[in-house]
Amino acid sequence: MAKITFVQPGGASQTVEAREGDSIMQTALAHSIDGIFAECGGAMMCATCHCYIDDDRTGAASEGEQDMLECAEDEVRDTSRLSCQITVTEGLDGLIVHLPVPVE
Amino acid sequence: MLDVPLNEAVTLADLTRDPYPIYKRMRAETPVVRMAQTGRILVTRAEHTKWIKENPEIFSSDDPTTPMKPAFQAHTLMRKDGAEHRAERMAMQPSFSPKVIRSDWADLYARLADEYVSRLPRGETVDLFTDLCAPVAARILAHMLGLEEARDEEMIRWSQALIDGAGNFGYDPKLFEISDQANAEMNALFERIIPRHKSEPNNSAFSVMLNARNPIPLSQMYANVKIAIGGGINEPRDALATIVYGLLTNPDQFEEVKRQECWDDAFEEGVRWVAPIQVSGRRVTQDVEIGDVAVAKDERVLTIQASANRDEAVYGDTGEDFNVFRKKHPHQSFGSGPHHCAGAQVARRTLGQIMLPLLFDRFPNMTLEDPSKVVWSGFGFRGPLNLPVTLN
Repeated sequence: MAKITFVQPGGASQTVEAREGDSIMQTALAHSIDGIFAECGGAMMCATCHCYIDDDRTGAASEGEQDMLECAEDEVRDTSRLSCQITVTEGLDGLIVHLPVPVE
Repeated sequence: MLDVPLNEAVTLADLTRDPYPIYKRMRAETPVVRMAQTGRILVTRAEHTKWIKENPEIFSSDDPTTPMKPAFQAHTLMRKDGAEHRAERMAMQPSFSPKVIRSDWADLYARLADEYVSRLPRGETVDLFTDLCAPVAARILAHMLGLEEARDEEMIRWSQALIDGAGNFGYDPKLFEISDQANAEMNALFERIIPRHKSEPNNSAFSVMLNARNPIPLSQMYANVKIAIGGGINEPRDALATIVYGLLTNPDQFEEVKRQECWDDAFEEGVRWVAPIQVSGRRVTQDVEIGDVAVAKDERVLTIQASANRDEAVYGDTGEDFNVFRKKHPHQSFGSGPHHCAGAQVARRTLGQIMLPLLFDRFPNMTLEDPSKVVWSGFGFRGPLNLPVTLN
């Protein structure tokens, strides 16, 4: 188990127990976190599980992930990640995930 | 574990006419069932269809036995998996990204929508399907693909020829003659406009592919553009017609949608209610169980997202109804997994945020006098074939 904290753009946060082996995206869906839609179900094809993570433990985005991030709806930053591409491990305990501001 | 049950009664003609009562019964009694007429296995429950789409190693899109290849004269990305599919898809994905929708397509679509809606005669009864839904879908798509030279009528005809060819499971040579003719016309146009896109690149799909740093083969650029033509007209056309029908036949909801201006919700409910793409095919790569039914390697399954979108397990007893204000649940009209619809964001923006508010701002008291005159049709693709509304 690892504790993951999801922070909404307004500052509201929710800390959940994540199952090892799940992706951050699956963790978010399992806990009904707003802002993660994951329309393609984790195939790195839709960029609707976009989030911001400023933490070296999650490594860098792959080339395919970077290409897809270019297609994200919301503002893309240096810390942008697709949450479907990060697998939960015990080593990620305490990770903080920021959700993007929805674009109108 | 059960063998696949066989349904010898249901025909493609039944499913083309009115599939929903049949799917409802299948979900309850035989959610995984072989349809004798096609030999293919129909999968009708939401949990199964989603799972199949999200597991391409077990359920491959690569199926050489479909008529798609002769229809498109190419092995297209729709029938590929893995890295090859990703490379071809990502080659044109930037054109359909939210960023380019905002920078290029939203304003253009708003202008086109205004132009096409402005042509409609106030106070008269028109067929909205032929007078608006189809041509406006064709025009914006021509721009997004970089085919401004193509006329609406050509885009619509090519799209229909490709769809009819791709659905030609009876291998009727006449349908392939028509798609061959369309292919010849499209190829000639593509060839003619390559120099324009090389000298004046823009954000259209053809331009982005032609001018990429590591371009995919020209044959696959052609195939990609054709896939977009095949899929990019009938789907927004049918979605728009379906949403308008849903609103006009539910006056209470129509009033409330206008009051709340929740056109996005109307869009999502319309495409959930009658999915423009009702069915997808996959090839089974290994022996597998779907629910408690054993399905053997090399079988062909058809996921019925039309049915998944009304599954009682997700929507309770009200899935058959059009209800913009239902509790939100993800629908499967844009699919899931690697082949998740590349045009999903374009469709939401253009129809949900531009066309619907514009159309009903112009004609807030539009009416559909006789809903029974609207003919619904389609097994693979479904929507109304006509929509006689009075514009007020």
